[in-house]
Amino acid sequence: MPKHYRLPGKKKEGNAAKYITRSQAVKYLQVSLSVFRKLCILKGIFPREPKKKVKGNHHTYYHVKDILFLKHEPMLETLRDIRAYEKKVKKAGTKKNWDLVERLNKQKPTYSLDRLVKERYPTFIDALRDLDDCLSMVHLFAALPAVERERIQVGQIHKCRRLSHEWQAYISRTHKLRKTFLSVKGIYYQVEVQGQTITWLTPHALQQVLPTDVDYNIMLTFLEFYETLLGFVNFKLYQSINMKYPPIIDSRLEDLAADLYALSRYFDANARASVVESIDVSSSEESELKLARLQHHLPTNELGALMNLVEDVGEKDEDDAETKECRNFFKDMKFFLSREVPRESLLFVIPAFGGVVSWEGEGAPFPESDQSITHQIVDRPTQSRKFLSREYVQPQWIYDCVNFRVILPTDEYLVGRVPPPHLSPFVDNEAEGHVPEYAEAIKRLQAAARKEVLPLPGAGEEDLGDPQNLLGIIDRAEEIEAAEKKRKMAILQKQYLDEQKLKLEGCNYYDRQNVSKQKDAEGLDADADADADADVEGTDADADVEGTDADEVPPPDLRQIAEDADNMSKVLISRKKRKLLEAMEIGNERKRAHVKLLKERKKKIDEAEKSR
Amino acid sequence: MGRPAVRPPRPARFTGRHEVSGRDGWADAVLTSGGDSPVSSPSKLLSKSEEKNCKQKRIHIEREIREMGKKAKSSRKGKKSWRANISTEDIEEYFENNTKDALSGGSLSNAPSESLFYVDKSRDLSVKRKIEKSKEKVLRCDSLLQRNPFVQPVPSSVQKKKQAKKNTKAVTNDKNDDDQKDESVPGSSTIDLWDGEDAVKITKKLKLSVIPAVEVEPPGCSFNPAHESHQDALAVAVADEMQKLYRDELGPKPVPLTVPGEVIDEEEKYFLDADGEDNDDQNENLIENGDADPEKRPHKTKLVTRVEMNRRIRRKEQLKAEAKAKKVEELSKEIDSLPDILQEIAKEDEEKHKRHLRRIVAKKERLKACPPRLGKHKFVPAPLQVLLSEEKTGSLRQLKGCCTLVKDRFKSLEKRGLVVPSKKSTGK
Repeated sequence: MPKHYRLPGKKKEGNAAKYITRSQAVKYLQVSLSVFRKLCILKGIFPREPKKKVKGNHHTYYHVKDILFLKHEPMLETLRDIRAYEKKVKKAGTKKNWDLVERLNKQKPTYSLDRLVKERYPTFIDALRDLDDCLSMVHLFAALPAVERERIQVGQIHKCRRLSHEWQAYISRTHKLRKTFLSVKGIYYQVEVQGQTITWLTPHALQQVLPTDVDYNIMLTFLEFYETLLGFVNFKLYQSINMKYPPIIDSRLEDLAADLYALSRYFDANARASVVESIDVSSSEESELKLARLQHHLPTNELGALMNLVEDVGEKDEDDAETKECRNFFKDMKFFLSREVPRESLLFVIPAFGGVVSWEGEGAPFPESDQSITHQIVDRPTQSRKFLSREYVQPQWIYDCVNFRVILPTDEYLVGRVPPPHLSPFVDNEAEGHVPEYAEAIKRLQAAARKEVLPLPGAGEEDLGDPQNLLGIIDRAEEIEAAEKKRKMAILQKQYLDEQKLKLEGCNYYDRQNVSKQKDAEGLDADADADADADVEGTDADADVEGTDADEVPPPDLRQIAEDADNMSKVLISRKKRKLLEAMEIGNERKRAHVKLLKERKKKIDEAEKSR
Repeated sequence: MGRPAVRPPRPARFTGRHEVSGRDGWADAVLTSGGDSPVSSPSKLLSKSEEKNCKQKRIHIEREIREMGKKAKSSRKGKKSWRANISTEDIEEYFENNTKDALSGGSLSNAPSESLFYVDKSRDLSVKRKIEKSKEKVLRCDSLLQRNPFVQPVPSSVQKKKQAKKNTKAVTNDKNDDDQKDESVPGSSTIDLWDGEDAVKITKKLKLSVIPAVEVEPPGCSFNPAHESHQDALAVAVADEMQKLYRDELGPKPVPLTVPGEVIDEEEKYFLDADGEDNDDQNENLIENGDADPEKRPHKTKLVTRVEMNRRIRRKEQLKAEAKAKKVEELSKEIDSLPDILQEIAKEDEEKHKRHLRRIVAKKERLKACPPRLGKHKFVPAPLQVLLSEEKTGSLRQLKGCCTLVKDRFKSLEKRGLVVPSKKSTGK
């Protein structure tokens, strides 16, 4: 309760005054528990854990200020009104006054969440930063069945579908997709929009079941807020690329469940219309009509025109290097999806990396018999009828290529083979210490691609499969790596020398600390073995120093000095930071132990295989 | 006299009424002629004057006189009073009326209505038109209630919003039924919410949880994992499962709902109690015996001699001195071993520090793994979604994917402390 309205017996400060239990809060706000829950979710107020739980451990606590914040919310009154209204409807129903029920249901009081979205996310960046959960939820509900029992409405699911497709279309159009990961749980995507990294999870194209131990009221309340939020975000994003927001979609394609393609066509048509519009100024309705007409006139089979349009847009944009790379990744490739592959996901991923894609079914831009198709994505044991002009690969190939930004050789992903492992791009192998075999192979390929050693992807992919050719690439890659290492070491050596000089000159601690910090940073960057090398180099350098500056007093024990400097820096930083540092060290040690364990396991497995 | 010179005809509805006096009747007629009547204009009603009916008149006079007698109540004793107290006003009035009637054509009060009125059968179009016109005329209060097609009804605020939305949708969107349904869902999203961001007061936002909203699964949970990472993920899943198993096995057993054995009768209960009492008695006896012994013991005190006293004092002093010497010696020893002590202290400090550090790290990791305790029930994490070794096929088509992603999202909400774990979700 507020301070000025506290009863004489009540506490004035401490946990007893700061926190109230949920039932107290419900009583204070004079609403039912369900309304309170809803309001809390919409306003973004969540329970806290006080240090001292005054009423006991089995209660849920809220901060008093949060509850006061809720009390001044105008929506509280609206929710109360709705409840009163529902009572009216119910009463009319029990009296079998159906006319009244119908009429009352027509004019139920409603509320809008626009203001709440603005309140919780004052800037657009804030909204983007918090979009992970929102996107996951919307994508999930887009795949759910409508269940009357749990009050999941058909309309809501359609809206989720629409919102998710709009978002995907934007991402795909602007080539913002960075990582994908197919896990058992679902498909993870990571994008980078306006400097914010957003990760979300979509379900597999399977029938989703609704487990009973989930509170769907809570989920639907979250969804309600997220739908509004995503609507506004989509609007803003579409505005940023000069598109009208509620996109007009070809209803024929929508019926065929090819919303994404329909959206991309909308974009193209819109781009064309904007060109037209620049010539003659017309009213908005007219232009819309024109747009719709354009969409219909857009040739379905003539992809060259489409591609040109895409390129036009692309040239205009001024994006960062990564986006450019992504845009041109699948540039000269044409994909065809078979019936059995996950269409929605691939329709999103391939255009996001600049590829052209079609699928088996109605409304597709080009048929299977198209001669210019370079890759056909299939996922079946055998392919009976084959075109010689194209590669038949499994869908995993697309995801792996996209993750590592290198066109992988297709022979391992051909039909009927067990493809190499699908590695998670979200794992930092360097930090983890353990690098899987295939990751190493890919790394070599990447290095080779950077040096343009890789033969042209269309012609020489069979060559790539040859072990000898690959070996050559590997050799070269190793050379590159070695050169890199050398360069790094040289830098380290130089730094160490500088440090020594500084020490000898007897400068103050602060400089020394700075230098040692730099050294630390360098050490973190370099690999573990590189570090060891650096140490060796360091001792060499030390010898050099002794050799060159013989007249000066040689330092007694360099290692000791380095340690002292480390300690000194540790002493000088604040206690909190020091502890953090120490905690980090502990974590690193644990990681190292883990890696060791993995290596041992690997060794054992190898030995077992050898002995077999 | 304020009477109108031309007598207005009397309306038909008054004919049935029995008038007390002609005068009153005339007043009524005057009143009604001014009032609103279905038959609108009096000039159109034609009245017919009649000859006087003598018989009627006589009856009338008789009645008048009777009434006169009733009215005079004062004393008439004596000639004087008789003359003084009888007023002749009534009679005078009557005669006046009578003469007036005679002059104007007679009283109409007792005339039958047929003789007074007749239906005008001559066709007068203008009158008819007028009547119809008056029928067509709608009262103002009625007209107000009727709907005007040119004036929009004043809607409530909620309806207004809906209307506006509908209009914008109709203009911008030519999609069909789905969108119409969507309108029921609040949130219009056709405006730029973050247009003027400068006016926003940025409030301090507290970071709720260190756990990210979408946690990416470990690489072992890939649909086609590398062998080592798959083994790793499997190991975690197996460890979880085994832990659950061991907890069930080794934990305290729940209190059984039924106890084996026979039901004891009320009567037998008494016997049981009796046995117990017997035992108690025996115990009491034993205790009593024990108590009795020390009392019997002879109480003997020894006298302390002077010599003994002196010896004791000396001994005490000696012990004291020895203790002092020992203390000094120990102190000097400790001083000698000061470095050792210092080392020990340092070691202890270090240990303490390490313990503290461990605690901090453990707390951080705990916060990363699960939310703070928010309610009655503890958060139970969902099991890791990992393929079994025999399910690993490498084909996306044959993947047995997770189909309960709703639960996963719900667990994520619980894990971040946004939803309080409930009995239903924790499965207890």
